[in-house]
Amino acid sequence: MRVILSLLLRAAVVLAGTALATFTLLWHAPGDPALAIALARFRSVVPDAVIEQVRVEAGFDAGFWPAFLSWLGPILLGDFGQSSVTGRDVWPELVTAMSYTFPLALSGLAIGVALSIPLALLATRHPGGWLDRFAVALASIGVAIPQFWLGLLLILLFAVQLGWLPAMGARTPTHLILPALTLGLTVSASLTRILRSGILEARGRPFLPAFRRRGVSEAHLTRNHIAPHAAIPVVTVFGLELAFLLEGVVMVEVIFARPGLGIFLVGAIEARDFPKVQAVVILAALLFVTVNLLIDLLYQVIDPRIGDRDA
Amino acid sequence: MLTVDGISVARGRTDVLRDISFTLAPGRTLAVVGESGAGKSTLIAAVLGLVALSKGDITWMNRPVRHCRPALVMQEPRSAFNPALTLHRSVMEPLRAGRLPGDPVRLTRLCDGLELLPDLLERRPSEVSIGQAQRIGILRALIATPPLVLFDEPLSALDAVTQKHTARLIADLQREEGFAALIVTHDLGYAAAYADEIAVLQAGQIAEMGPAQDFVTSPKTAYGLTLREAAFALGALEHVA
Amino acid sequence: MRSVIVLAGVFVALAVCGPLVAPHDPTAINIAQRLSPPGPDWILGTDALGRDILSRLLHGARWSLGLAFLISVIGLCMGTLMGLLAAQGGKLADWIVMRTTDTFLAFPDLVAAVVIAGVLGAGTGSLIFALTVTGWMRYARVVRGIGLSLQTRGYVVQAKLAGLSPLAIARWHYLPALMPSLTVVWTGMFARAILGISALGFLGFGVQPPMPEWGTMLLDARIHMRSTPLQMIWPGLAVVICVLAINLAGDALRDRLAGQEEQA
Repeated sequence: MRVILSLLLRAAVVLAGTALATFTLLWHAPGDPALAIALARFRSVVPDAVIEQVRVEAGFDAGFWPAFLSWLGPILLGDFGQSSVTGRDVWPELVTAMSYTFPLALSGLAIGVALSIPLALLATRHPGGWLDRFAVALASIGVAIPQFWLGLLLILLFAVQLGWLPAMGARTPTHLILPALTLGLTVSASLTRILRSGILEARGRPFLPAFRRRGVSEAHLTRNHIAPHAAIPVVTVFGLELAFLLEGVVMVEVIFARPGLGIFLVGAIEARDFPKVQAVVILAALLFVTVNLLIDLLYQVIDPRIGDRDA
Repeated sequence: MLTVDGISVARGRTDVLRDISFTLAPGRTLAVVGESGAGKSTLIAAVLGLVALSKGDITWMNRPVRHCRPALVMQEPRSAFNPALTLHRSVMEPLRAGRLPGDPVRLTRLCDGLELLPDLLERRPSEVSIGQAQRIGILRALIATPPLVLFDEPLSALDAVTQKHTARLIADLQREEGFAALIVTHDLGYAAAYADEIAVLQAGQIAEMGPAQDFVTSPKTAYGLTLREAAFALGALEHVA
Repeated sequence: MRSVIVLAGVFVALAVCGPLVAPHDPTAINIAQRLSPPGPDWILGTDALGRDILSRLLHGARWSLGLAFLISVIGLCMGTLMGLLAAQGGKLADWIVMRTTDTFLAFPDLVAAVVIAGVLGAGTGSLIFALTVTGWMRYARVVRGIGLSLQTRGYVVQAKLAGLSPLAIARWHYLPALMPSLTVVWTGMFARAILGISALGFLGFGVQPPMPEWGTMLLDARIHMRSTPLQMIWPGLAVVICVLAINLAGDALRDRLAGQEEQA
């Protein structure tokens, strides 16, 4: 119980820290935040007096901390405000963007898992054999390739040269294939590496030869001794892969002009539309803190001795 | 004078040490004997100020012990030295830390007393034997002339021949240098042969304390008797009795 | 360890000497020769403004590798300081440092770098800042972990008893023990910085034109993908080769260290 409470406290602290870091960044961004808000509110040329009024209302003239608190208030209530460029509510646009991003992330993850599990199992059958070395080489190249370059290469091959698949936009389901493949290939590279070393480590545990000598079947060993040992790294990996996926999604969406969170974020940064930027940042932080909290709680279930991942 | 005045050390809800009191004068040797788990290592840590006391007070000449820069000789001689540095650097560390001038004459004299060849110090910890490492550990402990030296099982990592040899060197050096020695050991034979006083630590408390000679000839508690018999059975007391 | 040093040396040499052996001025615009195919004059062809691609690649090494080196080393210093503070500075300092680390780790670091570099405005300064503040946490965790395990090591106890200052203890006892692990983490962060610089460059938030940086070169090349597809291959290949070489050296080093630990 104490462990769970301290994990919850830690999650809250991390969220507060993210909010503070985000606001600090926006506070120091070039440009006048009051002007941005005034523009968002009145959608036209605003006189200086109005900007000053906004500055006082928003608490920006009172210094960093009061401004931070007046900024944080609405966000805590789930109000992400209006775009400072279009004046429209941020939230519905964010939901639309997510409706493009989630299918991409999920299919990327699915492709990654579908490729990496058989590859890792085949590779570890004969560690050091040609198949293993091939898998390791493939995975090493895979993690060294920038996702956006792999995406460009796939466009070059399948869309430009062969003309088989559409590259830009998200009009039809076939538009999902190339971005999902880009994401899936890079995910499978990192997953294969982790799975391979996880399986090898689990197999190399010292008590296994003794079991084998006593005639315990290989299937029984895998199910009861190797798989549970490999479970903890898999849970950890899931948290890491989620971060990897979001990173990949941003780059891949930009390459394929898919109107998801990545385009939403990059477009908002280019337009200096800070309400949109902070909405993405806070949403993503919330997602990651929640997932990490769940992973920590899951550790408690798998092995209660793990009280603290730092230790 | 080391004064340990009614100290207790708590870990969680249990006392690892309870109501320990004794004094130790310069030039004297107190051996604390007991089984493993009796609290011997905690006692060392408490005297050095490495663990918090829940009760009582430990002083050297009415000031906190750390002021006199006590030295420690550890059970595992090799782990007491940074594997990345030469032994010479480690040996000189107490002088550098205290901004004290190095005295080559003293270093040579201590090396002689510990039967160490000076060029041994240019090696790294992995390049000397355990026995040599332990003597170099003693050299490091004594280099800055501490008034109080603590020995945590100083002989237990050594083989039987090296044990006797090292024990004699420690005793000789103490006679020359005049430091107070607090030796923690499970080896009653060693305690009886070299200590002025012996304290038996049992489950965190001092079960019996007295001059070494009395202790060996007429232990007052059943526990002291058991320890003494065990020591006799192992032949550890032959050279005393 | 030696392979990493050799590799770092090769990269530094490439970043220093690359521009010296470049056959042309990487920023010299030559519209008459735009989008030339590879030939005797232009070994890898020219880009949309008629600039020599090989020269831009060689000059780009200074930006891509040089900046990545700088960023990974600043991150190394920052992370090591934070880790030492956490390990040596007592419970409160540990808590503050670890929660700061958690906060920065709560976010995919490349996305955070995009946001930071983008919001602060495109440019080399914000690029370095963005990739550094998002790239110190792994060093801090490693240093703290090893630091805490060193605290009970005999020689650290001895140093404390002797009254050695925390700074001297860090210098003489922590750093030598940390070096191997830090080198492994550093190779990973060096590779990450190369990827990060190219990604930010590609998004237009990194090194600004006309400076030849591999990511910005890809951004330019993308527009002419149909007519001159080869233009898009070279900068990407350069990134892959560098990252792959660094990762392999890091893997080899990690395996060697694991082997040494098993022996000890």
